Amino acid sequence: MAKGGKDKTSKSFKNRLRSSYFTTILSISLVLFLIGLMGLLLLNSQRLSDYVKENIGFSVILKDNIKEVDIIRLQKELDATHYIKSTEYIPKERAAREFSEELGEDFVTFLDYNPLLASIEVKLYAGYANPDSIAVIEGSFQDYAQVKEVYYQKNLVHLINDNLKRISFYIFIFSLLLLLIAVVLINNTIRLSVYSKRFIINTMQLVGATNSFIRRPFMYNSIFQGLLGAAIAILLLLGLIDVAQKELSGVISFKEYELLSILFAIVVAVGIVLTGISAWFAVNKYLRMKADELYY
Amino acid sequence: MSLDTVVELRKAAIFQKDQLILSNVNLKVCKGDLVYLVGKVGSGKSSILKTLYAELPLKVGDGTIAGFDLKNIKRKKLPYLRRKLGIVFQDFQILSDRNVFENLQFVLKSTGWTKSKEISQRINEVLEKVHMESKILKMPHELSGGEQQRVVIARALLNDPEIILADEPTGNLDPATSEEILRLLIEISHTGRAIIIATHDYPLIKKFPSIIYKCEDTALFEVNAPLFDIEEKILDQFVSKEGDLEIEELGN
Repeated sequence: MAKGGKDKTSKSFKNRLRSSYFTTILSISLVLFLIGLMGLLLLNSQRLSDYVKENIGFSVILKDNIKEVDIIRLQKELDATHYIKSTEYIPKERAAREFSEELGEDFVTFLDYNPLLASIEVKLYAGYANPDSIAVIEGSFQDYAQVKEVYYQKNLVHLINDNLKRISFYIFIFSLLLLLIAVVLINNTIRLSVYSKRFIINTMQLVGATNSFIRRPFMYNSIFQGLLGAAIAILLLLGLIDVAQKELSGVISFKEYELLSILFAIVVAVGIVLTGISAWFAVNKYLRMKADELYY
Repeated sequence: MSLDTVVELRKAAIFQKDQLILSNVNLKVCKGDLVYLVGKVGSGKSSILKTLYAELPLKVGDGTIAGFDLKNIKRKKLPYLRRKLGIVFQDFQILSDRNVFENLQFVLKSTGWTKSKEISQRINEVLEKVHMESKILKMPHELSGGEQQRVVIARALLNDPEIILADEPTGNLDPATSEEILRLLIEISHTGRAIIIATHDYPLIKKFPSIIYKCEDTALFEVNAPLFDIEEKILDQFVSKEGDLEIEELGN
């Protein structure tokens, strides 16, 4: 007769896992999937904006008759700064060749000399590719003795920056909206599942359990549901990334472990925190209620 | 208040919401006492018990139970008050989402029992006392009313409480089982526990006479057992008729 406690609890535990929690976990996982989707969107918009910004070129036009060594030294110095992503030295000859191709006319033979100057094509990191930083960087380039002038399309930089700002603002608003939806939905789901046990909570109080003892299993349960929901959401996200990779190029790939693991960690954290906080408040509400207030 | 007094109400008024149920209630229960609370339906028996386990707040008068001041008790202290009491609720208050074993296990775990072997042993002990050991793995909805009642009685015994408050503990039991439960409660009272039973079961009171308090017209008063006998003579006839009826039914 004296069986262990485990045997006596196992059956109903299985029942519980099977039935009522299924819907709760499903709703949580769908909401977390939404959050993950938002994260992917944010990451990709950041990537797009970085891509565009880092392709804004700067031409550092060099003075004529500078020794090759000096040019290479300048290029190295530029490469060593923290704001420059890449530099490319374009010698006179190459500039002439490219320009001829554009014109469709060999102007060097026509003029009998090459009027173009050598230049270094500079690309900045996204963080520095805004009008203010560019103005400062432009100034610092002109301090070099080898530099004749610095050339870039001021309007283009402004335009790109303004548009990217606007787009990321809308994406941000959209993300906030999604987050709000997630908070409301998860909170509702947890509250409903606690509501269905309000009489049980009252009974537990009547038999002498402290509030924290009553709260504990609800917290564990909800956080467990949050974790399970997050796991399902991550599987869905992985599936989505897989499809997106085949259909679109330039989106986030599986190889970017770091970004993906940060994203997934956020999904898990949101799952745990939201379910935990919701359960805490929902259970406290019924702990404070009197028995006859429960009938509604 | 003498050392032996474990329950005391002095000039207490008992309210349900804002409605006055009983006024000027004086009640004193000592260690080893078995007290019956009688009275018509709605006369306030349950309300007195609810006041004693602080489900209804004591607004007027004074009250102490197991060393707790009922008037000024803090919400946070309620669990500790209830651990000193074994309560047999009229509406059972069984946790509907778990089986008998887990119901009793919850009470033990919430009151600080940790060793699963001891928990298992204690649960089997109390279930044996009410002859429910064979239903240990049943869910509450699989039990009859009488079986649920016995589980609740078993639960009230778990922590060997100083005071047992029983609201119609025999309401769903057949006469033989009722007697057995009452014998069990009397036996417990002999070990120095105070027991308060709200009941309609007059034949049982007759069989096991003890202190009787009656609720009537918003007042609570002690009744002498012989007087009570006379008062209930008419009722006795009614009960015996009902008994006959039962026998007839069984015959069919």
